[in-house]
Amino acid sequence: MRLKYVLSEVMVGLWRNVTMTVAMIITLGVSLTMLGASALMFLQVNAMKDAYYDKIEVSIFLTGEVTDAQRASLDSQLKGDPLVKSFYYESKEQAYEKFKRLFADAPDLVSAVKPDGLPESFRVQLKNPEKFQAVSDKYAGSQGVEEIIDQQKLLSRLFGIVGSVQTLALIAASIISVAALLLVGNTIQVAAYSKRREVAVMKLVGASNWFIQAPFVLEAVFAGVIGALLAFGALLLGKWLLIDGSLKDLTSVLTPVPWKNVLLTLPFMAAVGGLVSAVTAWITLRFYIRV
Amino acid sequence: MTKTYPKASRPSLDDVSVGIEKGEFVFFIGPSGSGKSSIIKLLLREISANRGKVVVNGKDVSSMRSWKIPQFRRSIGCVFQDFRLLPNRTAYENVAFALEVIGKTKAVARRVVPEVLELVGLGGKEHRYPHELSGGEQQRVAVARAFVNRPLILLADEPTGNLDPDTSIEIMRLLDRINRTGTTVVMVTHDSNIVNQMRRRVIEIESGRIVRDQPRGVYG
Repeated sequence: MRLKYVLSEVMVGLWRNVTMTVAMIITLGVSLTMLGASALMFLQVNAMKDAYYDKIEVSIFLTGEVTDAQRASLDSQLKGDPLVKSFYYESKEQAYEKFKRLFADAPDLVSAVKPDGLPESFRVQLKNPEKFQAVSDKYAGSQGVEEIIDQQKLLSRLFGIVGSVQTLALIAASIISVAALLLVGNTIQVAAYSKRREVAVMKLVGASNWFIQAPFVLEAVFAGVIGALLAFGALLLGKWLLIDGSLKDLTSVLTPVPWKNVLLTLPFMAAVGGLVSAVTAWITLRFYIRV
Repeated sequence: MTKTYPKASRPSLDDVSVGIEKGEFVFFIGPSGSGKSSIIKLLLREISANRGKVVVNGKDVSSMRSWKIPQFRRSIGCVFQDFRLLPNRTAYENVAFALEVIGKTKAVARRVVPEVLELVGLGGKEHRYPHELSGGEQQRVAVARAFVNRPLILLADEPTGNLDPDTSIEIMRLLDRINRTGTTVVMVTHDSNIVNQMRRRVIEIESGRIVRDQPRGVYG
């Protein structure tokens, strides 16, 4: 009986105030979408770190005038280096072949570069990618070395971009969630006001506090969960239209976003949406319904 | 016991001490603003005393933890001048609501509510809405709601304030009947007719102090 009573009160309360309910659900949905998207990006950055840190190379580019002796001396130095896991030599021709392969869909660019225009290099894998600076210091001064480039730096720039997009999404999520939570508080106040007579009688006859507050709190939870469902729909669309759709070329270079991660955002967003709305409603009621 | 409201220059109730026995019928009388309504609020723990103790049913309500208040209020029935009925519920539903929100089942309500409506003289009018009932009948519904839990104490804050003299007397007969079942009745009023007719204990308050406490008293 009591559960049925509480549930019917929830539906009546949401329906009585339907415009406010819709506004509340939409803002909750938008802020949860932002939150879910940044959670996805967080998972993505971690997956990319795991996938790429193994493959990271330090490239030691050689000058154009490098002599055979200099090249041989570098080769033997690398062989004896305890920091080096493995390395290989890439000649100008090999570099050109690789370049042609990478930019096969940009023939103008390929034709603009001559076969001997690319530098030869040693490609080195380190035992510990973090030790780049030590390796760089060691070989930077050697004869015939033009430049030492750590792919990790390029990668960390990429992670930096993803990270700042993630931060932006989080900031947007928190700003919109302030609006959403104000709406939740307001909706609950209006609901409590429209039921003030019932609430007064309930207090008078000694209904327990949770029984008085439960319908209002559940209204907020309901809105939070519906908002999370909306957000989940938005993320599914995003995955389908953007990541697997128009941005496919970009994302296929990077680690793919698995469906599993997208599905994982649903319980996450529902829990956050429901819980935060419930707490907001409960705090509002603390002020609004005094014992 | 003393109660001072915030921003008030003098206490609403100043060093008041009074004991009411189980089963008594007591009138609190006095002019408006004398503090008699504060007594009801203190007994219900809507407000709490600044100094001293308010003991109801052997429990000190002024120091009661707030989560215990609902349970405490279930042992007290309350009737007001403005009835405080829910306009969109029938007489039956109004009384049943009071039972259901404290966790009683519908089956209990079906058994108890017609009984108590019969007791207050509303047999046959269970399915009328408040606006279809006269003032006296609405107050009977309120009394039924207050009494349906068989409270130990019935508080009445000017229950006849909105009723004509004849209807008032009918309500008083009802309260008297409830009193005879062993329920303590505490009634705040300034209806001299009623006090004079009932001849029960009268406690007169003026400016927050008790100026008279008389068994079988009159309005004076």
